[in-house]
This record gives sequence, C-alpha cells and structure tokens, in this order.
Amino acid sequence: MSVGTLSSSAPAPQPRRLSTLLGYVLVAPPVVIMLLLIFFPALQAVIQTLFIENEATGQTAFSLQNYARFFADPIGLSNLWYTVEITIITVLLLFLLCVPLALYLRFSNSRVANAVQVLALFPLFVPGIILAFALIRFMGTRGTVETILQLFGFTGYHTPYLKPAGIIIGLVWEGIPFTTLVLTSGLRQVDNALIESARDVGANRFQIFWRIILPLIQRPALIVFCLNFIGVFGSYTIPYLLGPAAPQMMGVYMQQTYGDYQDRIGALTQAVITFLFCAVVGLLYVRTVTRQRADAR
Amino acid sequence: MSTITQAAPPFEVNPRSSAASLSRFIRRDGIGLITLVVLILVILGPISSVFLWAFAERWRYPSLIPTQWGLSYWNETLSRADIGDALPTSIFLSLVVTFLSAIICLPAAYAFARIKFRGRQFMLLSFLVTNAFPRFGLYVSIAVVFFRLNLVGTLPGVVLIQLVNTLLLMIWIPTSAFQGVDRSLEEAALDVGASRWRVFIQITLPLVLPALSAAVLLTFVGTFYEAQGALLIGLPNVRTMPVLMYQLINNQVIVQYGAVISVVMWLPSFFLLGFAQRFLRGGALAAGFGV
Amino acid sequence: MSTLTLNNLTKRFGDVPAVNGINLNVGDGEFLCILGPSGCGKSTALRMIAGFEEPTSGDIQIDGESVARIPPNYRPTAMVFQKYTLWPHMKVYDNIAFGLRLRGLSRKQIDQEVSESLEMVGLAKYGPRYPSQLSGGEQQRVALARALVLKPKILLLDEPFSNLDALLRVRLREELRRIQRQVRITAIFVTHDQEEALSLADRIAVMNKGSVEQLDKPSAIYANPQTLFVADFIGAMNLLPAVVNGDEIRIGDTENYQVLPTPEGVHDGMITLAIRPEDIAIVPDSTVSGSGIWRAQTSQLFDLGHYRKAFANLPGIANLKIYLSKATNISEDEPITLYPIRYLVYQDGKPPIETLRAKPEGVLAFS
Repeated sequence: MSVGTLSSSAPAPQPRRLSTLLGYVLVAPPVVIMLLLIFFPALQAVIQTLFIENEATGQTAFSLQNYARFFADPIGLSNLWYTVEITIITVLLLFLLCVPLALYLRFSNSRVANAVQVLALFPLFVPGIILAFALIRFMGTRGTVETILQLFGFTGYHTPYLKPAGIIIGLVWEGIPFTTLVLTSGLRQVDNALIESARDVGANRFQIFWRIILPLIQRPALIVFCLNFIGVFGSYTIPYLLGPAAPQMMGVYMQQTYGDYQDRIGALTQAVITFLFCAVVGLLYVRTVTRQRADAR
Repeated sequence: MSTITQAAPPFEVNPRSSAASLSRFIRRDGIGLITLVVLILVILGPISSVFLWAFAERWRYPSLIPTQWGLSYWNETLSRADIGDALPTSIFLSLVVTFLSAIICLPAAYAFARIKFRGRQFMLLSFLVTNAFPRFGLYVSIAVVFFRLNLVGTLPGVVLIQLVNTLLLMIWIPTSAFQGVDRSLEEAALDVGASRWRVFIQITLPLVLPALSAAVLLTFVGTFYEAQGALLIGLPNVRTMPVLMYQLINNQVIVQYGAVISVVMWLPSFFLLGFAQRFLRGGALAAGFGV
Repeated sequence: MSTLTLNNLTKRFGDVPAVNGINLNVGDGEFLCILGPSGCGKSTALRMIAGFEEPTSGDIQIDGESVARIPPNYRPTAMVFQKYTLWPHMKVYDNIAFGLRLRGLSRKQIDQEVSESLEMVGLAKYGPRYPSQLSGGEQQRVALARALVLKPKILLLDEPFSNLDALLRVRLREELRRIQRQVRITAIFVTHDQEEALSLADRIAVMNKGSVEQLDKPSAIYANPQTLFVADFIGAMNLLPAVVNGDEIRIGDTENYQVLPTPEGVHDGMITLAIRPEDIAIVPDSTVSGSGIWRAQTSQLFDLGHYRKAFANLPGIANLKIYLSKATNISEDEPITLYPIRYLVYQDGKPPIETLRAKPEGVLAFS
C-alpha cells in the first residue's frame, strides 16, 4: 500500500527570510517592555542626574554636581563602602558554605543527599519579608537561639539582629539555593573520568579538589560570583529589616533618601552609582558567559 | 563438597543487627548526616520559630516552646479586613502577571533559542545587564511617568511594574531549555512531514515542560512576594500581602499577627516547592544562567 | 524507486566551502556511500539533500525535479540520524505512527503499517516500549523503521551506526543491506568508516575537503585509488616516497636503497609509491633473481586469526606492512625476502600508473 508523501500537496515553501522576520516579531514584546520600563527609565534617571537646571538662567547644562555631592558626603561614602564590604563578605561566605555542599551533592547519591538537596533549595521559596521576620524570631533577643543557648547555660548571647552580621546571615541564607544549584551543575560537567584518573596516579582528595576540580569550575564560580554580587549589592528587604540604622546598604539608603528626605535626584544619583558598580560586575558575567558559549561550540 | 571458610570481618559480628547497620550507615554517609542535621537547624530552624509563634497563645521567654497553644490569633488575623482584601489581590496579581509574562516571554525564548537573527546575543544579554540597575532607582523614574498616566494606585500599574521583574527569569530559563532540545529531534519530525508548528507542540514543548514549569512556578512565587514595586506604585489603593507584611513587621507589637500571616503567605510557596524542586534539580536554573 | 542528481552542489559557511561543487548521479535502488574523514563535508551534503541546509549554489534533483527550494517537511526523503533519533517522550509505536498520523491514515491502517515495519526490522513486539528502554542498536532499528514506513523515495543515513559497538555495527550493517534490497529503495549512507563503506555500497563517493575525489564501485576504488588521499584512506596501504632514475624506482637514500622497475609513462623525479600489503609476495631467499627483490627483517607479528599481519623492516628505508598466510613459517626478527607483485606510481597529482608483475617461482605468498 502506498502511503504517499506529503509532497503531493506541498504548499509554497517559505522563504528563509521569513523566519528572521518571525524572530524579530516574537522577541519584540519583552524587548519593548524592557526598553520602555527599564532602559528608558534608567536612561532618564541618568540624564536627570547629569543635567542640572541653572536656577539663575533657567538653562540646563551637563554637570557632575550631583555625583560630586554624593562623594563629598561622608555618610553616602561610608554607605557605599559598607555595601561593598557586606556584599563581598556575603558572596565569600556563600562560596565557603556552598562549595562543600555542592561537592557533597555531586559525589553522593544517597537518600540523605536527596534530603540535603531539597533542604538546600528551600530558601528559594521563602520570600524576603518572611525570612526577615523568621530570623528576627530565631536569632533576635529572646529568640529561639538565645533560648536554646540559655538552656545550656550560655548567657552572653548578643543578637546579630540590627547589626551587619544580621544582614549577612539573612543574605547568605537567601543565596544558598541559587549558589548550590549553579555550583552543582558546574561540578556535574566535570567528568568522573577526570577525577578517577587523578585518583589513579595517586592524588589525595585535597589535591584532586585543588588541582582538578577547582580550575574546572572557574566559569560557574565566576557566574555565581557575578550574579550574587549584583543581587546582594542592590538588595533592600533584608538589609532594611535586619540591619542597623547606620550605616546602610545602598538599597536602603536610596529608599530613605527618596521616601524620608524627598530627595528624588539624590536617590537617582545613588541608583546610578549603584548601577555602575553592578554593571562592571555584569560585564564580567557577560564576558564569562559568552566565552563559555563560544567554547562549547 | 568442599566448604570455603571465610574469616568474619572483625567489626561486624552480626551483620543484621540494627546497631551494626546503623554504624555502617553512619560511616558511609557520616558527612551527609552531619550536613543534613546542620541544614535542618539552619534552614528549618527560623521557619519553625515562625510556625510556633503562629500557633502560640502566649509565649514567654525563656520557655523553649509556647507556654500556651491556641488558634485564636488565626481567627483574629484572618478576619482582618485588610487581609481579606490583600490576599485575593495578591493571588489575582500573581496569576495575571505570570500569565502575561508567559505569553510575552515564552515565544521570545523560543525565538532566541532557535531562530538566527542579528542582535540576538546582544538582546539576550541586555536583559541581564538591565537587571543590574537597582530596582528602586527604576521605580523612582517610572513612578513619575505612571503618576502622569494615572497609573499609580491602580492594578494595571502594579501589573506592569511586577511584569518587569519577571522578564529575566522567564526569558533566560526557557531559552536555555529550548536550546537543550536536540535539533535532530526536531529535524526528525520535520523529516517525516510535520509542520513547524506541529513540531513545536508535539516534540519541543513536551521536552521543555519541566524547565518551563520551574520558570513559571518561580515567577509566580516571585511575583506573589514582590514588595518594592507594589509598595511604590500600588499604594494606597492596591495593597498586596507583602506590603501588609511590611507594615505588620514594623508597626505591630503582637508577634502572632505577623506569624500567622507569614504562615498563610508561605504555605502556597511550600506546595509549589514540592513541584518545582523536581524540575530545578535537573539543572534548569543553572543552565538558564549559562552553566 | 527513484534517482537523485546533485548538480554542482555547493555550501559555504562564510568564506569556507564545506561542500565544493559536487556532482553525483545516484541510480534507482542504488546504495551509495559517501565516505570521508570528519570535516570533509559529507554530512553537510546529506543535510542539503534532506533539506536541513540550504545550498549556496547548485541543484538537487529527485526523479528529474528540483527539490532544492522545498523545505524538509515536504521532501520525499527520510533520514536516519546519528543520535537522539527517537522522541524520548513517545513510545516506539507513536514514534513510528507520528508520520502516518500526519497523513491522515485510519487507526487500523496505522496499526498495520507500524507492525509491518517493526516486523521488518526484527522488533515485532516493541511497540509499547519507550526509547529509554531500548538499547542503542534497537533504537536505530526503530529509527530505520520510522523512516521506511513512509515509503520515501530516498533513504538518507547519517552515520547511524557510529555510536554502536563493533559487533553490533556489523550485524546492523548486514540487516540494513538486506532490508534495502528487499524494499528496493535508493539509499545514501554517510560514514567515515571505510570498512563499512566497502561492505555496504554499490558505489562509494570518497570525499575530502568538500570535493568528491573518486566515485566508483568499491572494488575499483580499492584496486585503483585515483588520488593519494583515496589510496591512503581506503584499506591498508604502504605509501613510500621514492625517486625515479631512468628505469629504476629507488626508495631510500643514495647509499642504502631498494629498487623496482619503472613503468611506462613515468618520468624522472619524485613520486609516491603505493603497494598493498597483500600485493607483496614472500619468496624463499635462494630461488629468485632479478630486480625488485627486497631483503628485509620481520619486526612485529600480529596473529589475526585467519591470517597474520607483519611489519617487514627495510633498515634505514621503510617499515612495510605485509600479510602472511597461516602456513608461512616465519616469526619475528627473522630475515625475509619480499617481491612486490603489484604497485602504483603517483606522480604530479595525476591518476596512478599500475605495474603488475608475474608471480615468481616458489612464492610463499599470501595472495
């Protein structure tokens, strides 16, 4: 029985150029939204901070005055520096905690490992506010931690709540799932054969880690560093709810400048400066990813 | 018949005894157990505090558990007018935003993954770089425009603002998922005569469903808990649960209100975690960001 | 059932021509192998025939009609891919039925077609299974069934067996040939494995760097490789740089050398000498006299079951590959006398010139 081919009823074949047009049509909606709601407002913010109206003449001219004002202000500077510090500490801590975790998950297949992985994913689904609230209850004064320590006789508990450590604890807690997931993925791409051959020539576990594994997960590690940096640098909720009144991270500072002091331009200036920091790291991410994609081809 | 006697291993007298198997288990996965215990304390600890508070009538320090249990605060909290208002608003917003985001972003993700056009790489990466601009700064600029357009304090305004947050996730994860579907699977379908649309529906889509589901779930949860945008644009008419939560944490002395709301707010995400963790473990999230 | 013609088919990626103006004519029911190393353009050529790559220039004709502008869904070709061929989320039955359902066949017709095609590839009861439950060989058989069930005009195969182990490859090869002959379908098979090509093909197109270097029957290609590339690529071959000096071909240097008689049509100068291992006879040391007798030393012996492969070392000149029959009583590191019976001379990039000599007395040869 002849089944026949579809060529008997072939429609006009589509020119290949149509698919390029289709591509543009399909990506248009999100790109347009991004342009309208991110790019242009961002651009506008930058412009507004760079062009100042001279009250006397009524003319607007380019001026770095706003930025000079920010950098001349000791509070602003200390906040900026504070943000950098907290960000770096948080990101480093995340590495310190999640690399061993990822290693364990990569090389272990047991049920315990499964449970560990589920737990590691948990914070993804806990929103910042609830986390802040929970941490206050957990590690705040008269909280769970202090209660338990009290039971064992430790009386000198100083809560990290309303201190920098509080912010760091919260941000690290939030960052565990993403960091672990990315590192585990990166580790999975390190073939077992590479590790076994190192074992074969006599390397011990530490040497294998230091000389084989670590160099091979440079890219995922860099990616995680960049994305965590950007996320932490501009964060608001946890620093606001768990951190001290001063110094403040930039996210909190911005909100205060705008909300409490009604200084719109000041807040925008801070936003641009924050963006510049993040953009540098963002470009590092872009470079890493594009190089990875090029290699993979 | 000859019998071969084996020397009994010195540390296992009776391999079936539970003590022996436990010690074997610990030795084999000791690290894992320690990690598990630590994680339970660290991850579940804070959450459990909140849970305990939600069901506490009275809890005086230094008692380890509430001195008096009870559900009375549930009734009080849930019957509050502002919660009765905020909860449906939050759910509705999240559904709408997630739905819109899916319609807008998923076809684009397919295009990014499968169609070659100029500027593709650039556009993809621009979603990330624009994400580096602090949200708040954007909102400040947007707020002015929205004000002029009378969008402040309206649902559409909040929808737009929250939509922006979802773009990154809803484009990057699906794009990488589509790229992960081997071309030859699609070509084989073309080869037997399927139209491009049919290939998409019957071949590509089923294969990317896990990753797409993860992205959708994460988007839903993220939108539900989004606070900054809703705060700035939504007030005073549109109040979401997170906004309420902020007010309750800062201004409320009675812990139970916050605790109950936390539990209520957090429950849906708990269920979604159950679904999503299967998808996330496949590496979809990591792959979405270039690993 | 159908003929395929490629007319000056070219594909450029940027400036690089992956396929450089190839011309092919495949006859009805013919099994053509496109053979070549990785990167030679064979897969690109096949994908152009299937419709997954658009030719930069040139034409593809099936039964005299140009198909180059027709997208792959509407071409009368069916392809078996190298890997990831079966849709993992569908059962074997649905994999095969997919194309049939598109053509609007009734449930009963589909059932019948599917079971017939599974029967043909020897997987009769495998319908309800999922691809992940099948071995690599079984998956490729299902892929073949899926391609054939649509009764295409041309069957295309892109190195379908290269991910399978050696024994399985041989078995599937034979099955494929049987099925192809039974169904009498025109087939184009791409591979880098010359043994596969030699055993499967009615004709082989040997490709290198985008061009077809030789298109001929396997025996002809084996006996008369037209270029050095083909000579080296197909079968085992001893390739020796040599110098022609009058009626002597000299391998080695001025002090230490061996000679062979120069054939007609070869001028003085540099050449490459090509001798198949089986064309080197082994003779007892004493009985033969004359030109073209080489005295060597055996160095390595490989027992391959029904014959032996050995290396014969001409000290300071070359290490030749030779074959020994089971009977020949020689072991390693022994003197051996060689008499090349047939050799090819490649000069100036032109097709080779063959010399065939009479077998001498007392040959202990393999052939």
